[in-house]
Amino acid sequence: MLTRTEQIPQALQSMPRRIHVLPDTLANQIAAGEVVERPASVVKELVENALDAAATRIEVSIQNGGKTEIRVADDGCGMGRDDALLALDRYATSKIARPEDLKGVRTLGFRGEALPSIASVSRLTLETAEPGSVGTRVRVAGGRVLGAEDCARQTGTTVLVQSLFFNVPARAKFLKGAGVETRGIVDILSTLALANLSSAFLLQSNGRTLLELPAAVDLPTRVADLWGDEIARRFISVQLQREGVSVAGLVERPDVVSPTPRRAHLFVGGRPFRDRFLIAALDRAYRTTIVQGLRPSALIYLDVPAGAVDVNVHPSKAEVRFRDRDLVEGTVEAAVREGLAGLDSAATLDATPAMPQIRRLTTEPRGGGVPDNQLAFFVAGARRGEPPPDEDAAAGGAVVPLDEAVAADAVPEPEGPPSLWQLHDTYILAESRSGLLLIDQHSAHERILYEQLMRGFGSTPHGPDGVRPEAESGSVAAAAVGEDGEDEVDVGRSGGVASQRLLFPLTLRLSPAEYTVVEDAMVLLRRAGFEMEPFGGRTVIVHAAPQPHPYFSPERCLRDMLAELAGGSELTRAARNQHERIAMTFACKGAIKAGQRLSPREMQELFDRLFATELPYHDVHGRPTVVRLSLQELERRFGRT
Amino acid sequence: MKFTITRDNLQQGLASVAASIPTRTTLPVLSNILIEADGAGVRMSGTDLDIAVSLQVAADVEEEGALTVPAKKLQELARELPENPVRISTKADRFELACGRASFKLNGMPRDEFPTFPAVDFHDAWKLSGQVLSTLIHQTSFAVSTEESRPILNGVLWQLGDREMRMVATNGHRLAVMKQAVNFPGAGRVDLIIPPKALAQVERLFAGGEEIEVGRSENHLGFRQGGTRIFTRLIEGPYPNYEQVIPKDNDKHADADKAGLIQALRRMSVVASEQTHRVRLSFNPGLLRFSVESPDLGEAREELEIDYQGEPLDIGFNAAYLLEVLRYIPTAEVHLTFKAPERAATLEPVRPEGESGPDYLCLVMPLRLLE
Repeated sequence: MLTRTEQIPQALQSMPRRIHVLPDTLANQIAAGEVVERPASVVKELVENALDAAATRIEVSIQNGGKTEIRVADDGCGMGRDDALLALDRYATSKIARPEDLKGVRTLGFRGEALPSIASVSRLTLETAEPGSVGTRVRVAGGRVLGAEDCARQTGTTVLVQSLFFNVPARAKFLKGAGVETRGIVDILSTLALANLSSAFLLQSNGRTLLELPAAVDLPTRVADLWGDEIARRFISVQLQREGVSVAGLVERPDVVSPTPRRAHLFVGGRPFRDRFLIAALDRAYRTTIVQGLRPSALIYLDVPAGAVDVNVHPSKAEVRFRDRDLVEGTVEAAVREGLAGLDSAATLDATPAMPQIRRLTTEPRGGGVPDNQLAFFVAGARRGEPPPDEDAAAGGAVVPLDEAVAADAVPEPEGPPSLWQLHDTYILAESRSGLLLIDQHSAHERILYEQLMRGFGSTPHGPDGVRPEAESGSVAAAAVGEDGEDEVDVGRSGGVASQRLLFPLTLRLSPAEYTVVEDAMVLLRRAGFEMEPFGGRTVIVHAAPQPHPYFSPERCLRDMLAELAGGSELTRAARNQHERIAMTFACKGAIKAGQRLSPREMQELFDRLFATELPYHDVHGRPTVVRLSLQELERRFGRT
Repeated sequence: MKFTITRDNLQQGLASVAASIPTRTTLPVLSNILIEADGAGVRMSGTDLDIAVSLQVAADVEEEGALTVPAKKLQELARELPENPVRISTKADRFELACGRASFKLNGMPRDEFPTFPAVDFHDAWKLSGQVLSTLIHQTSFAVSTEESRPILNGVLWQLGDREMRMVATNGHRLAVMKQAVNFPGAGRVDLIIPPKALAQVERLFAGGEEIEVGRSENHLGFRQGGTRIFTRLIEGPYPNYEQVIPKDNDKHADADKAGLIQALRRMSVVASEQTHRVRLSFNPGLLRFSVESPDLGEAREELEIDYQGEPLDIGFNAAYLLEVLRYIPTAEVHLTFKAPERAATLEPVRPEGESGPDYLCLVMPLRLLE
């Protein structure tokens, strides 16, 4: 193999050719085009290097949005003089050595491109020192090493980047104003800080502190330091491990999801990445718990076995490729949905809701002086710069069960049956271990009926499987006809929805649009319990109807359902397919209404059935079924604290 | 107004009227009881605007007059009084009560604010036994609908003819109808739809064998016996054609022991879905099999020997409906008829040889069974 620096120029001299290999400086400038776009990308690369050097504190200071100067100083392991010089060569890296390493790469960088690329488009000064030895200072301008000298420096590395793109005016011209570039740097550093909790970060711009993040014990603490306590309290924690894929993180409580832009951060093995399909999986998990179209914020930390993810897809590593994408998406969706099934996902009256409760994973004692960057979320194997431990330890041994208090609160029921109290014939009040639950009787019954009917249809209420995606419009009827044969089998197996024969069949005269709905959805409506047949003209005759509660009016329910299905509504548009549309409208129109007095027994049954559902705290419109009030809040209000 | 009344008479009068007085009302005077004293004695009346109950009790009236007083408080007070004569008088709107060495003053409201009772004409009244009427009410009114979208079904249909009267109630899922021979020559047929609340008062106050008079005006019905009167608003019809839905061609007949059926159904209900109470009945010659499958809970099975000779039949029911109907079957044995799993079933009493009673039939619509 030729080495560029020696052989190529020789070849160029000896034989005139039109095609030639680019000199290093030019090659680096071109590479810089991919890696170094803006000051923020410089910060990203340098901070990632610092993190890979196991820094516990990283200080970034910038001038003029980083266009004039970027300084990144760390207390990492530092480099000796030879390494320092070599580090400025392209494809020079300490992070991988053999092709096999690429598969299991655990460091943020590994391509060996960043530092030479930055050096080729700026005036760069590198100061670095290994423990117990004298420091080295290397100065580079436009990719040319100007000199290397001894300097006094504590262990660690400082990189000073000045006059970015001074030698690439075309690129310098595309830089935005200092404010925009500063925001870019804040964003990138925030993301890195979210991925590396045990490192402290400082960001100063023109001498003013923008971020000051001490090492955090867990993610909520980091989030609180970064965005404020109030934001941190809007999140709930999620965690799930499935077939080697572990998902942990924070997602927004449905009742506080607002139409403002979301904060969505994805990490795999501690590496931030973008993936709209995973974000789509997150949104799927929120279905029915928030108003359709709202975008919940989330911080999702993935960990997958070595080899299950290819991070070498994109020069800036913004995208990754999963070997089993369905498994990853499915696990994210399941993890979030599981989180949304918990009491902490319920709407609350508390002025300061509790901080998200993190299920702590054990961390191994720090070994070899390498700081443990993976305190809170990651399975032990995810630790950077170390080979992953065997699968068993990652899957089982390292996980500590849920905090006792959290586990106890997962079931809102206190000892013995809770005494329930109906408020204004509309709400049910119940005592829980941690305070008080207010249940909206209509919303609660909606949730019950929705899940029951979806199960009756042979679909899981939220799972991606079971219901085929909506066929193109016009083929709904065809699909329904196609299902005719399996109709009864399905419902019978799942218990289905009982249908009470009516002594006096209902005769309904429908609008043309409503009649079309009935024609199209006859089979599904039948499976929902409405047995009907055409009766000439646009009239249908209903022979049997479901009876979800004693105050149920089949006629009113069916009429309201058909009107909504024919006219369309936010609810029907939120549905993914005809199954969901029927189930949602039936739940909405068939549920016990507000203003209906309930006997204690009926309240108890509603309560029990609500908490037997998959997502008891959210109705099908994206509204809460339960609003909670904690004892802490009551104590605060009554001045008991 | 001034009168003296025994404690027991006071208590009895208040208890009879109190049930017609609403506990929560937007019109405050409705929570009062109207007390009127005249030459005939003392009359106590209460109403919730749908029904009204009025009762004459014996008292020694010294001075005529009238006043309304809070019914609940007066009733609580009467319950605690010693067994002495109670002296009652009024001063303007103040109601004064003295008994033994205790005395009370309650704030009342003048009679003018109390709604006047509907004028019901008892001139051409039907006359019938209170006991017979009470039986009809008891055996049918349980079946009325509690759901408010079809107000008609919230009422009990009372059909009066020359030779027969019937009472019918249904919620659209089950129906009860009872017939009784009468003799009202030339009266013609009249259909009345009555709120069950009013009938409950009739059953309560007129259960004895005395003859009662029933008179009507356009929108109201009145019941009268002695000094006691009950008035009720009528629900406007027409009532659904129930005769049409009573099956005439049910060709599968079974006779079963009522107690055995009830016990088995109660056991099945424990495992049945709380919402639908669905239980499956499989009729085979000589044997009835019960089964319940609740996906979330489990299964239950039971067998009962019955008298059945037809073809095997599987039919599903809401066990709560069956149990309710069986509770009102007045005999130890019950006769059931069926046609098909989606058709109405009927239940009738089986009267021992030599006994007779009013025709009684209950009908229960099945639940769809899915295999």
